[in-house]
Amino acid sequence: MSTAYPLPTNLSTTTVTNTASLLRIVALGLISAAAIASRLFAVINFESIIHEFDPWFNYRATRVLASQGFYEFWNWFDPTAWYPLGRVVGGTVYPGLMATSGVIYNFLHAFHLPVDIRNICVLLAPGFSALTAWATYMFTKEMKDESAGLLAAAFIGIVPGYISRSVAGSYDNEAIAIFLLMFTFYCWIKALKTGSALFGTLAAVFYFYMVAAWGGYAFITNMIPVHALTLMLMGRFSSRLYVAYCSWYAIGTLSSMQVPFVGFQPVRTSEHMGALGVFGLLQIVAFAQLARSHLSSKQFQNLLTVSVVAMGVVGTFGFIALTYMGWIAPWTGRFYSLWDTGYAKKYIPIIASVSEHQPTAWPSFFMDLQLLIFLFPAGVILCFRELRDEHVFVIIYSVVASYFAGVMVRLMLTLTPVVCVSSAVAFSSLIDTYLDPTQPEGEEESEADSSNGTNTAATPSKKEKAKKPAASTSALNDIVTAATSQSSSKSKSKGIWGLDTRLIVIVNAIGMLSFFVFHCTWVTANAYSSPSVVLASTNPDGSQHIIDDFREAYYWLRQNTPQDAVVMSWWDYGYQIAGMADRPTLVDNNTWNNSKSHIATVGKAMSSSEEVAYPILRKHDVDYVLVIFGGLLGYSGDDINKFLWMVRIAQGVWPDEIQEPNYFTPQGEYRVDDRASSAMKNSLMYKMSYYRFAELFGGNNAMDRVRQQTMPKVGPTLDYLDEAFTSENWIVRIYQVRKEDLLGRDLKSANAFAQGKKKKKSKPVSRRKAIPV
Amino acid sequence: MKWSAFLPLFLLPAAFAATKDKDAVREQLIDLAAKGNGLIKLDSKTFDLLTLPSRDWSASIQFTALDRRRRCAPCKEFDPSWNAVAKAWSTAPKEHRDTHFFGTLDFDEGQTVFQKLGLASAPLVYVYPAAEGPRQLPNGKTAPSKYDFSNGFEAEPLANHLSSHTPIPIPYRAPIDWARWATFISGILSLVLTLRFISPILQSRWTWAAITVLTSLTMTGGFMFTRIRGTPYTGPDGSWIAGGYQNQYGQEVQVVALIYGTLSFAFLMLTVIVPYQSSASRQRMQVYLWSAVIMLIYSVLVTIFRLKNRGYPFKLLL
Repeated sequence: MSTAYPLPTNLSTTTVTNTASLLRIVALGLISAAAIASRLFAVINFESIIHEFDPWFNYRATRVLASQGFYEFWNWFDPTAWYPLGRVVGGTVYPGLMATSGVIYNFLHAFHLPVDIRNICVLLAPGFSALTAWATYMFTKEMKDESAGLLAAAFIGIVPGYISRSVAGSYDNEAIAIFLLMFTFYCWIKALKTGSALFGTLAAVFYFYMVAAWGGYAFITNMIPVHALTLMLMGRFSSRLYVAYCSWYAIGTLSSMQVPFVGFQPVRTSEHMGALGVFGLLQIVAFAQLARSHLSSKQFQNLLTVSVVAMGVVGTFGFIALTYMGWIAPWTGRFYSLWDTGYAKKYIPIIASVSEHQPTAWPSFFMDLQLLIFLFPAGVILCFRELRDEHVFVIIYSVVASYFAGVMVRLMLTLTPVVCVSSAVAFSSLIDTYLDPTQPEGEEESEADSSNGTNTAATPSKKEKAKKPAASTSALNDIVTAATSQSSSKSKSKGIWGLDTRLIVIVNAIGMLSFFVFHCTWVTANAYSSPSVVLASTNPDGSQHIIDDFREAYYWLRQNTPQDAVVMSWWDYGYQIAGMADRPTLVDNNTWNNSKSHIATVGKAMSSSEEVAYPILRKHDVDYVLVIFGGLLGYSGDDINKFLWMVRIAQGVWPDEIQEPNYFTPQGEYRVDDRASSAMKNSLMYKMSYYRFAELFGGNNAMDRVRQQTMPKVGPTLDYLDEAFTSENWIVRIYQVRKEDLLGRDLKSANAFAQGKKKKKSKPVSRRKAIPV
Repeated sequence: MKWSAFLPLFLLPAAFAATKDKDAVREQLIDLAAKGNGLIKLDSKTFDLLTLPSRDWSASIQFTALDRRRRCAPCKEFDPSWNAVAKAWSTAPKEHRDTHFFGTLDFDEGQTVFQKLGLASAPLVYVYPAAEGPRQLPNGKTAPSKYDFSNGFEAEPLANHLSSHTPIPIPYRAPIDWARWATFISGILSLVLTLRFISPILQSRWTWAAITVLTSLTMTGGFMFTRIRGTPYTGPDGSWIAGGYQNQYGQEVQVVALIYGTLSFAFLMLTVIVPYQSSASRQRMQVYLWSAVIMLIYSVLVTIFRLKNRGYPFKLLL
């Protein structure tokens, strides 16, 4: 026997197994700790605060749930959102996230641990990331072995593509959804492998949880049927598949219909029809299999095949007919825009306007996944080598998810798990090969190598391959043998000679992994841990300077305005105003279907002149208008940069009154300085943003630091609005809408009168001309 | 020509002459439109007729520069759609058709109009609403409105937009793309016919592996970004790499996919091929070779990434 390095011989197999399992538990514990810890940058750098936009609504809803109980939450009608429509929150929300926090809250309080609900919300995502790591471990274990599972868990624990949606404070549906996604997939794979109805039911239960938690459940709804269909097309129909799929589909669909927001969608919309169709197909195929096993006549079998095909065709046409007759709703716009990428921009500008719905450039992939992104194809190839049923799943998942991630930045989140799994398979295969101490010349089998507790499971199969000595020496032959090794694995010896070869590969691998860790830490700390409610900048001396304009302004609203004062802003800030200022808003981030005209109304008010906007504001009882302005500080996410979307959305409803080209200069530039178009200069948004801006510079040229343009010396004037509040760095500006003039004049002339200006009269033209002498 | 006869009349300032002319002008325009297959080829004089201040018809006018010397590629791209929509309008019922006209003004035919309107770019579409009569806009607007090209140069959105200015919607129907259907059907047919010969290829897992890997490589190289945003293959100055983190050119997809592919391949060689080598020295050489390839290409990748993301603090060998 020859080994590359000495192995301890006095160890019993039990010791090895026990040590390996202990090491696995310790490793998983450490991975969980790392996953949680790396998500705490946001809390350490800033504070325990809810991030961004949507989380503020989830937080507000969770507070209602925690303080008033589940039934109150279920029946909660929120009159302050979408003023004056209001919103039936219980029926228009995926309650899984809030329910989870509520359960944790009540659980802790039952033990007299008075944890604040906010801290539960802030720390929910990091906690669930540890569970995701575990679920990914279980999933990858089914693909290869425990060592690949541990690697995959470590990858998903710290990979930025997942951290971006799950830092502490990012209290959004995705925080728990990725765990549910991975665990549902694990249960499905397990059910498929064992043919167990128990695991099929478990998959259905977690599918139900996923449906209750995230709109992205449609991904599972389509992934599992596509997998089942592919297996059938590959001729791999089995009773295991039948049991797994039917138990998942029947229980999962029935339970998913219990979520009020989903309701009858699973039987009425095209997104869910694939699952139903595959369910029907499975019954037909299963029946055919059964009939075949009981029949002998050749002709009858042919007849059977024909009738099965005919039934499939009839079923497909049935679906199409039902869609045309309106019984099944066609693909929804959101879903459709994934396939026809120009669709959203044309027909649903609200969706296209969201930054996370933009397509992904390659640097984002590398930033979010780093070395995993190029290990991922290698892992897919390794899956093709074995091609068991569960590998087919990973392969389909990888193609579908990489397409989706390319179309929309936010779907990077669904790509990340499969990239982690697949690259863990590739990486652990590499490490297995080069840690394996057996050298190819050895005739006898070595003992189980115990140097690495995690790859014990992989070794026995390899040792079988290492039996026969080399026969051919041609390099081409080697490659051919390697490629076909699956079928003829025993014909050729396999292994690595020498220690230096092992060392270089292993050292290289460890180097790459540690680089990955550094990369992830840097990206997490710098790119994904900003709450975006609080901004940070660096002072000249390197210390951190906190810019807290948002909360300053929202608290001003809270303290200085009546409880029922209606605030108008662009929809991005609706949830924050509701959460932090506690005031009714016209529009918010919940862009449900019939809200289009409401959002367009706000867009129209913002993009038309004061005279046109004022009746709109008064009709909607608007008391305050809030705009975000970054020109002083160079904060690029401000309303002037989002302005074109407001124009576009308003144009969709009032094409005669609002036209996008009017907001560009004749040269087609988007300018805010002297050369800005008149529609731009007269728009309410422009006026509110730059009102008194030039005065700040005391006679010098006022500079907009976002657009890098010099503003005119004389800024815009406002007749229908009063400046009410401007935050420290001018990021948030709040204007009060004036009431109608008491004397019945229009506000413009009233204003002119108050300033002591004479009413302009049409000056009679002098008839006599001055005669030059 | 017919219209030259009444032109002096039209130029008369007297109001009664203008109303009388209006009908004459409309007859004139109807004639012209009928001649040009629903589209009036304008010059600066007919332009003035079409946009008569006392018009009780509406008009949509394309400003373009089709002459080769003008080098207006978008004009050429847009022209067929415009003609198709104008032609579709000529099939509308007569009582509606004669209240809206389509015109095309080429830069070389009517430079004065371009100057008068202050137009600096082409193509442009202006819709002139009716200034008088029953089809006058309720808000009394007579100034032309501009068509927004943000939906592209296709005929469909153009027809949709113009339909809101015409008395009845433009009966435009997208022509059936026979060539596309023919390719599609012949593709399916040839697939079915050669199925017997190519079925070993289709049943080979490595065909599918190649398809899968190539798809994911192009996608992760940012192919969809270039498709959706329509970014050019290279920059205007010939550079292949676009500055900025959220931007890229077409060529970057190829380079990045190639880099990812090479790295993947090197990993596969180390894992799958190298252990099956039959001679120790050759195996050692290959291990060193592929390790070096990984190190080197990975460094190149990180360097390119640093070009895109200036703040990235790490680098490898390069």
